[in-house]
Amino acid sequence: MQCKDVEFVVEQEGFAPLPEAAQAHVATCSHCQEYVTDLATIVSVANELPAEVEPPARVWVSLQAQLELEGIIKTPAISTQGERSPWWRGFRDLFRSRALATATVGALIVAAGVLQLRQPPGGPAVPAGPSWQIPFAQTAKVLNEQEVDLKNIQLASTSPVDDSFRQNLQQVDDFIAVCERRMQAAPEDDLAREYLSNAYQQKAELLSAMMDREGSVH
Amino acid sequence: MGIGMMGLAASRSDLGLAALRPDLKRGILPVLAAATFLCSGLPAAAAGQHLEKHFTVNARPVVVIHNVANGRIEVKSWKTKEVDVVASQTSDKIGFDMEQAGDRIDVTANILDTSAQPRELEASLLLTVPEETELQLKTETGLIYVEQVMGDMTLESVAGDVHLKEVSGYIIVRTTEGSLVCTQCAGKLDFKSISGGAQVLQPALTNVSLFTTSGNILFDGDFVRTGLYTMKSGKGLVEVRFSGNDSFDLKAQTATGTVDNRAAAYLKPDSHGVKHLATKFTKGLFGTVGQGLAKVELSSYSGTIRILKRD
Repeated sequence: MQCKDVEFVVEQEGFAPLPEAAQAHVATCSHCQEYVTDLATIVSVANELPAEVEPPARVWVSLQAQLELEGIIKTPAISTQGERSPWWRGFRDLFRSRALATATVGALIVAAGVLQLRQPPGGPAVPAGPSWQIPFAQTAKVLNEQEVDLKNIQLASTSPVDDSFRQNLQQVDDFIAVCERRMQAAPEDDLAREYLSNAYQQKAELLSAMMDREGSVH
Repeated sequence: MGIGMMGLAASRSDLGLAALRPDLKRGILPVLAAATFLCSGLPAAAAGQHLEKHFTVNARPVVVIHNVANGRIEVKSWKTKEVDVVASQTSDKIGFDMEQAGDRIDVTANILDTSAQPRELEASLLLTVPEETELQLKTETGLIYVEQVMGDMTLESVAGDVHLKEVSGYIIVRTTEGSLVCTQCAGKLDFKSISGGAQVLQPALTNVSLFTTSGNILFDGDFVRTGLYTMKSGKGLVEVRFSGNDSFDLKAQTATGTVDNRAAAYLKPDSHGVKHLATKFTKGLFGTVGQGLAKVELSSYSGTIRILKRD
């Protein structure tokens, strides 16, 4: 057995206990001894980590917005099976494990890369159907829900900072409306799409900042 | 509050004084006057609260400030390997936490009384740091002012402006409505805001990315050869003033705004073999100044893009 075989065995079966053949190799190989020791240390430290706290909803909102804005995910087709949980709830469940989170993000990036490579040179293929006609529709829906929740919480606040947040949120909403009208009139306007994408990104960040402040001050 | 309570106490005393004997009045009045005078001085004493701390550092320190109160954060540099922090506050409703962990200094202003009025929550910080220092500053409404500091910095503000003078490094600025004025800055600059504007004056920046939804952008200075410059505003004015010695490729686009080209005499067709054309949805201006060594991309969705050679 060689070093790469040991790595393969560890990857497939774990290292506690190692198969006999692997143990024999590790006993004579300083490189593999270090490798196994490092892994044991990592597992030991990981076991001492405190229980994970579930991230707040805004993290998933921002993540979804970012993924959608970067074209890594697309607005799903209109559901015909009645009301279902938003996809990001399932996504959140998937992310409960850090290993899975890393793997999922990696898979999404690879998938996005493959999809981009497969795009014909004439531009992205736009499937027919209503769900592709409104850019960032799912992001808009989630952000608007968050906005309504926040407004309900913040109605009584007269702090200058909250005022500033509200005024700027209104500005972003107005700008989004302008860009969306433009996109409806000229769906292939890349500049409008870019500004709309940026506006949604800013809205997600602004809502996140408002929620953070809400949590820390009030 | 001290004044208010004293005023109430004085009113009650005035009501009772009419019934008192004249000799007693003569005795009480000076005492009341003195008490009023002393109590009215209490808020002034609170306004003068100062806290100063020195932290000795070895190498390039990292200074982290989180100021949730209203107030100015000012950072200047010296040649001493020390971080000096002077905090001043208007009331005791704000508390400062300062700690050192190796070469990291953390300063946090906390609100101790959430019912406090905005004017009671004013806290300013004056820092003197080694010339090579990394900064992470976060505030809500006050000005952030940094002068002559070399090091990466992240500066965040909601409504406060950010003024930088003679700083260098990778500079990240995020505001909601605060504006940025960056004078004689070097390195890389990344600015994002919703309604804040940005002015970049006499820079030596090799990489600039400015984005605002409704603020204005002004770039007045030289473009470093091989530098990359991106300036975008949703609704505001994007103005670039270049020098006759500059060398850059220009790409300017707007969806519904206007392009005000006041540098037609300097702008030649792109000489690098790539023919740029505006799409049917945008108005564009493409060209090269000099040899086209730097790359400048300007856009405004509905505002004006102005390009001119400065005098």
